[in-house]
Amino acid sequence: MSNRYFAVLGALALFACSEPATTPATGDNTETQSTVSGLQVDVSYHTMENGLRVVLSEDHSVPTATVAVYYGVGFRNEPRNRTGFAHLFEHLMFQGSENLPKGDFDSLIYGAGGVNNGSTRFDFTNYFEVVPSNALEAIVWAEGDRMRAPIIDQEVLENQQGVVTNEVLVNVINQPYGGWIWIDLPMLANENWHNAHNFYGDLTDLENANLEDVQSFFDTYYAPNNAVIAVVGSFDSGETLAWIEREFGNIPASEPAPPIDISEPRQEEEKFGEIHDRLAPQPALGFGYHMPERGSPEYYAMAVLDQILVQGDDSLLTQRIVNEEGYASGVFGGINLLGNMYNYNGPMLWSVGMIHDDGYSHEEIMATVDTVIEGLRTEPISSEQLDRAITKLRSEFYDIVDSSSRFGLADLLASFALFDDDPSRINRIEQGFDQVTPELVLATAQEYLRPTNRSVLRVIPDPDGTMSENPSGDGE
Amino acid sequence: MLKSSLKLIAIGVASLSVSAAQAQQSQQPEIGPAPSFDLPDTHTIQLANGLEATFIDFGLAPKVNISIQVLAGNVFDGEHTYLADIVAGMMEEGAAGETSEDIARAFASMGGDMNVGVGMHTTSFSANVLSEFGPDAIRRMATIIQQPDLPDSEFDRLLQNQIRNMTVARSQAGPLATEAYVGLLYGTDHPYGEGLPDVGEMDSFTMDLVRQFHVDHFGAARTRIYIAGRFDQSAMEAAIRDAFADWEAGPETGVPPAAIRPGPVVRLINREDAPQTTIRLGFPAPEIGTDDAIRMTVMNALLGGSFTSRLTRNLREDKGWTYSPGSGITNRVGSSYWTFNADIVTEHTVEAFSEIFDEIQTLQLNLPDDDEATGMRNWLSGIFILQNASTGGLIGQISSRDFFGLPDDYLETYVDRINAVTNGDISSVASDYLPLNDMVLVIVGDLDSIEDGIRAFPQLADAEFITDSE
Repeated sequence: MSNRYFAVLGALALFACSEPATTPATGDNTETQSTVSGLQVDVSYHTMENGLRVVLSEDHSVPTATVAVYYGVGFRNEPRNRTGFAHLFEHLMFQGSENLPKGDFDSLIYGAGGVNNGSTRFDFTNYFEVVPSNALEAIVWAEGDRMRAPIIDQEVLENQQGVVTNEVLVNVINQPYGGWIWIDLPMLANENWHNAHNFYGDLTDLENANLEDVQSFFDTYYAPNNAVIAVVGSFDSGETLAWIEREFGNIPASEPAPPIDISEPRQEEEKFGEIHDRLAPQPALGFGYHMPERGSPEYYAMAVLDQILVQGDDSLLTQRIVNEEGYASGVFGGINLLGNMYNYNGPMLWSVGMIHDDGYSHEEIMATVDTVIEGLRTEPISSEQLDRAITKLRSEFYDIVDSSSRFGLADLLASFALFDDDPSRINRIEQGFDQVTPELVLATAQEYLRPTNRSVLRVIPDPDGTMSENPSGDGE
Repeated sequence: MLKSSLKLIAIGVASLSVSAAQAQQSQQPEIGPAPSFDLPDTHTIQLANGLEATFIDFGLAPKVNISIQVLAGNVFDGEHTYLADIVAGMMEEGAAGETSEDIARAFASMGGDMNVGVGMHTTSFSANVLSEFGPDAIRRMATIIQQPDLPDSEFDRLLQNQIRNMTVARSQAGPLATEAYVGLLYGTDHPYGEGLPDVGEMDSFTMDLVRQFHVDHFGAARTRIYIAGRFDQSAMEAAIRDAFADWEAGPETGVPPAAIRPGPVVRLINREDAPQTTIRLGFPAPEIGTDDAIRMTVMNALLGGSFTSRLTRNLREDKGWTYSPGSGITNRVGSSYWTFNADIVTEHTVEAFSEIFDEIQTLQLNLPDDDEATGMRNWLSGIFILQNASTGGLIGQISSRDFFGLPDDYLETYVDRINAVTNGDISSVASDYLPLNDMVLVIVGDLDSIEDGIRAFPQLADAEFITDSE
């Protein structure tokens, strides 16, 4: 193992200002690097013989360690008749492994004074733990046991089908507005099934899942060559790398999963949809625009537009709709509502939503939105606007990276290793912001904030459930 | 090398398990002694007008987290529930001639928003800005707190926002259940027992009430400032003295005394055809700072307050009837309460109550074994590090200690006190504070499906039942 060494920065401190970033010694990254201001994260990167990618980042300010195992499988990969399966499988990975029967994994972590969780997103499924540093070796062992030999039988499958069904009920079906903007809007906006299905799962698909599905999914996706382990916090890198080699090194690779086409065509016409919601007391409106490709100059420009339009009290849509028009208490939105602008790898929406008063049509509200957005499509923003947006982006980026659990940092390192084979990309994010110009923002707004690039979804209160059948709403 | 394919024998009995080639019995590595963790040093100053400021040097990112907490929360609403929220909203609408948009832009340029949050006891103004802007943020926040314009022109809009938010909250089972629950515990004539304001009640709010609330409840002696992060202490201290030294102390205050009431009482709220039942089940608990309170903390973790707790293992991991059950302790001035909450699938709600009552009774009658209890003490000790490993977390812990008047070393001795709770203590506080015949219970769900089953429980035989439809 450790046959590939990427950027290994000298500074052990998480933040070492004005440290020049080293150029990767090998690999697919051709960007040249200049001195960057602000954030410098210590990154050590290794790929084991079985394909497992390992990212280590030391920071000794608090005596804890965060372990994050990411598998390259998410909503987009699930089988067509098994919507919600990637998430159900995530639950099953907590149900025990060869040396840790059901319950023992959680007991190990909690008994050591830690916490753990997992999540399923468009492009990955993750499992993570935050523990006092003394428990790190045991956690590495436990994650290795889980990757190598999870134990999933009919009993735990049925148990977790019940738990996941309850999760969908509490988060979507028994909630006003349920999944409108994070499930239904992508379903409306996307054309490709991989991006456009109900990824929380139709309840019948969840009920129909069987052990053959489990086996096939595990064989295809849960292997070291489709995974990343990131360890962040207070530990010794050499010692930890040896533990990872011991616990994961003999897990065999699998045949790489067949590639899937997740591309979306360029949207040429504005789309509209509506949901009839039995529980919602007031109408809501959401809209989403397809994003530029992740990592492109236009992507960073969209991040600036996001800040200008919808992030914070100073944002233009907040000022216009909340403070001037006054028919909504707030306007929210962003890039990748199930995560952040960094942790996805495929077609994505920039989305905005609001709950608003009765008596305002979606045409009227969108006309107001258009007066704001069209301004950005006709005139370049001022340098003051750009500076303010970049200050907000940088501040938000620091908050992600400097969270108390260090999960935000582990998440970015693992995502960049999984998607780009390049976790040191984290040290070049700020450069991406700095390269945005008012002209680029204008050109990006012109192409990506076209009305024909967006989908508009209304939520209409339907207290008696008497409105027409609702194929994509909360009634499934 | 390819992973060997694992064969299924027959659906229904086979499982995803390890093949012989991959089997690897191994021992868990030992977990050594826990690392030592010291809370960061703090430094507190007091101005002549009574305002106190505490500085907490912590963190790596070049940011400073500022929290200015004024004893002006909902407990001072009087008859006008959520008036404090309207006041807080109005205070963001401009100060000393600057508009809300000017203020928003100024804070955005510093890398953060200023947020105003109204809690039961305090109204908190917070900003998490890039370090270099800390003193500037202090000065701006001081202006907003001391000299808000409170412009009449914005009042109707803010009131409508609040009414809209309340309308949405009332459509959700969780807020409805909590409102009914605190009403049973404290009665609806004390702010502790007020849930959400009625929409009609909010129509009686006026700008005169808003201005009077600001006069009556804002002042230096009721204000504490917390500064955490990376900052230039002398510059921040100078900014605070400069911006707040001339502020008047303000009216003296005390939280109106509240009496907490035990059950037995059950309130049933119908939510027709609801697929899940939302429950709040609880009892008065020992006050924070007492010996029994720390025992309750360990008992709570073991019974329902952690992912490995008995109720979570039973209802979720064994039965699959609920997704995110949990329990916790809420502290008020002079009283506290313990609550178990869950959203349980309707068809198994009655059976779930049977399990909940059994788990509580089992803990009361049998000491937990040492592995389980030690695991809980270890968990609470370990997450104490996480709770204090961020600027926001530190501000929360230290300000709570200050608000409840706990000893200066309350946080430093916390882990030792957790570890001194015995297995016997855990069962005895379960017996003393969770008397099943005196529970306070709220159920929001499809009553046609569950009411008869609920009423049949012997534990509720003496309970007063209150039924109303949503």
